[in-house]
Amino acid sequence: MTPDVILFLILAVVAIASALGMLLSKNAVYSALYLILNLATIAVFYLLLGAPFIAMVQVTVYAGAIMVLFLFVIMLLGAEQLRRARTLGWQQPVAVVLAVVLVAEATYIIFTKTSSLPDIEAAEAGFGSPQAIGELLFNQYLLPFEITSVLLLVAMIGAIVMTRDGKKKE
Amino acid sequence: MVPVSYYVALSAILFSIGTLGVLIRRNAIVIFMSVELMLNSANLLFVAFSRLYDLEGQIFVFFVMTVAAAEVAVGLAMIVAVFRNKRSIDIDQISSMKG
Amino acid sequence: MFTPEMILAILPEISLLVLVGVILVVDLSISKERKGILAWLTVGGLALTFVLTFLLSRPGDETELWGGMIRHDWLAYIFNLVFLFGAGITALFAIGWEQVGKRGEFYILLLTSTLGMSLMSAAGDLIMLFLAIETASIPLYVLAGFMTKDEKSPEAGFKYLLFGAMTTAVMLYGFTLLYGFSGGETNIYELAANIQAGELPVLVSLGTLLLVLVGFGFKVSMVPFHFWAPDVYEGAPTPVAGFLSTASKAAGFAVMIRFLLVIFPAANIPQWVIVIGVISVLSMALGNTLALAQKNIKRLLAYSSIAHAGYVLMGVAAAAHTSLGVTSVVYYLIVYLVTSLAAFGVVAIVWHTTGSDDVSAYDGLSRRSPMLAVAMLVAFLSLAGVPPFGGFIAKVLVIASAVDADLIWLAVLGVLNAIIGLYYYLIVLKHVYLFRSDEDETPIKVARPHAVALTICIISIIILGVVLAPWFEWTSFAADAIF
Repeated sequence: MTPDVILFLILAVVAIASALGMLLSKNAVYSALYLILNLATIAVFYLLLGAPFIAMVQVTVYAGAIMVLFLFVIMLLGAEQLRRARTLGWQQPVAVVLAVVLVAEATYIIFTKTSSLPDIEAAEAGFGSPQAIGELLFNQYLLPFEITSVLLLVAMIGAIVMTRDGKKKE
Repeated sequence: MVPVSYYVALSAILFSIGTLGVLIRRNAIVIFMSVELMLNSANLLFVAFSRLYDLEGQIFVFFVMTVAAAEVAVGLAMIVAVFRNKRSIDIDQISSMKG
Repeated sequence: MFTPEMILAILPEISLLVLVGVILVVDLSISKERKGILAWLTVGGLALTFVLTFLLSRPGDETELWGGMIRHDWLAYIFNLVFLFGAGITALFAIGWEQVGKRGEFYILLLTSTLGMSLMSAAGDLIMLFLAIETASIPLYVLAGFMTKDEKSPEAGFKYLLFGAMTTAVMLYGFTLLYGFSGGETNIYELAANIQAGELPVLVSLGTLLLVLVGFGFKVSMVPFHFWAPDVYEGAPTPVAGFLSTASKAAGFAVMIRFLLVIFPAANIPQWVIVIGVISVLSMALGNTLALAQKNIKRLLAYSSIAHAGYVLMGVAAAAHTSLGVTSVVYYLIVYLVTSLAAFGVVAIVWHTTGSDDVSAYDGLSRRSPMLAVAMLVAFLSLAGVPPFGGFIAKVLVIASAVDADLIWLAVLGVLNAIIGLYYYLIVLKHVYLFRSDEDETPIKVARPHAVALTICIISIIILGVVLAPWFEWTSFAADAIF
């Protein structure tokens, strides 16, 4: 075992444990905190995989902004704890379909297909740097980039629409 | 170096945990967080594959994050709106429509 | 760097975006009493966009534009026109609706969703496709929950969002696998070529197909991803429900046929035709049988919409073997668009007067408003597939394509389902024409914009059912454009 693999395994254990923590915590605040830990671990993976820019975005946008929003809403609504209840009718078939596909897929991929994939080499300098990402983003991916502006505008309007009139009512 | 198949396995496990969370948790906010975990497992795989091939995977992750931010903003606003009506975000209790 | 073709290819999107900007500004600057003007601005703008797109945005020689992000072909062109038409009719039906039609945000969300859909139909790259799907979906989530003071509406919106977010995440995972196993391609067409060269194991490609199909299946509300449809249609404002069941579904199918026909034949898995065929039968059977029991007209239309997704899937399955498949899918979606919009339009108008969505509220409708009753008759008979309306030709086309593709079992089951479907449509018409109610004497008023929208839909249904040639030719162009 090389140091790389050992590092990977340690991080993977942290990632899986924190994901399970999120899944099993009864308190939604703990769930959110576990998810933040998970997202931060994934950011470290991004660094290992030669994606420094994405790693930074992950920490600031995901672990930072999005999760703070989650925590804010949980605390605003006082929704930390909810009783455990029965399973939902309409989700069951989806669950079965997904579980079967997923398990089959994962086992198959892990044991056959990916063994033929090459190992990950050390990143060459500049791979995944803000400059490299930016150049691709503003050339080939210009149109999707512009569309994100529409998407964010809509999200803003949508959030305002959903929360505004409630205040007038009360 | 670490084989890509390790990353595939890790992301499959995280994705399954996220799916389970969506299916077994009752708290709407936790369900929503599980969806974020699913998105992240896909992102991790994208970055791992991107390391093998080219930068396109990282660009994809960039866009997924934007979309996730937009979705979360709208989703949490909706949770607040539903909560105002129902005083609850338990998935079982916000099901007045049946049939 | 920018060629005129690039601009013309996204002309509808640019035009919609300008319209959004105009409405944002006008909404801010006019007084509350005059908000009605926003609806007319939207309708006018959409009509202008429709004409501009029709005249100027016709596909040229160059199909791959914007770095391969979008494909400017006949499939995208026809679907663009379909979405613009659907959005225009939806805006007309929203006029005069106090909580919905007098607010600028409604039209902004409607327009951006249309923008997303037109990008969906044109997307040639997984990244563009993902973004387009979200740009179309996120405004729809909000539109479904738009009436925040209503009991059911925010709930419907939230359900829609939760289910949508989840299925999108699953679809994204499928995209990841496609990216990884095709050797790092995101362009749909290059990806297909790579997969063909790499000879992916059947199980992997079939699994990936299923993951991606979860996302598409949600958009077109096919079994087993249909759970959201009845609840969301019931809770959402009626014009929005109409838009969801038509334009949004058409967008889902546009993506589905391009994606399936380009990638999966290349991946060399003939099994996908069976998968789609079985899903098609399940959707038809489940939609039609559950619709029988519905007392609420919007839920009934929701189940009917699931059944119609099944009929369209028949064409999708057939498309693997015959070009008639895609033609029939496009034709069916166009017919379903005008028909279903008319049906939801009548529901919206009746709700304005009676305040009820129950089927029993339609008792004696033929006396209260003969025009509405006729509109209902035409729309429901077309949904049921009775000649001489558009629905009949559409059903004949999908069944013919299934026969043409040697999927006889599918064609037979499709015909059987069409017969079951006839029954519940006729029950509703029985309420409209034969039953009496205490309020027979109080007529139902139809506002002028609603009457205009209904007339357009009804005329289109009849034209699509009687004159076949030009539409058929157009939809065949779309079929040729995929490859």
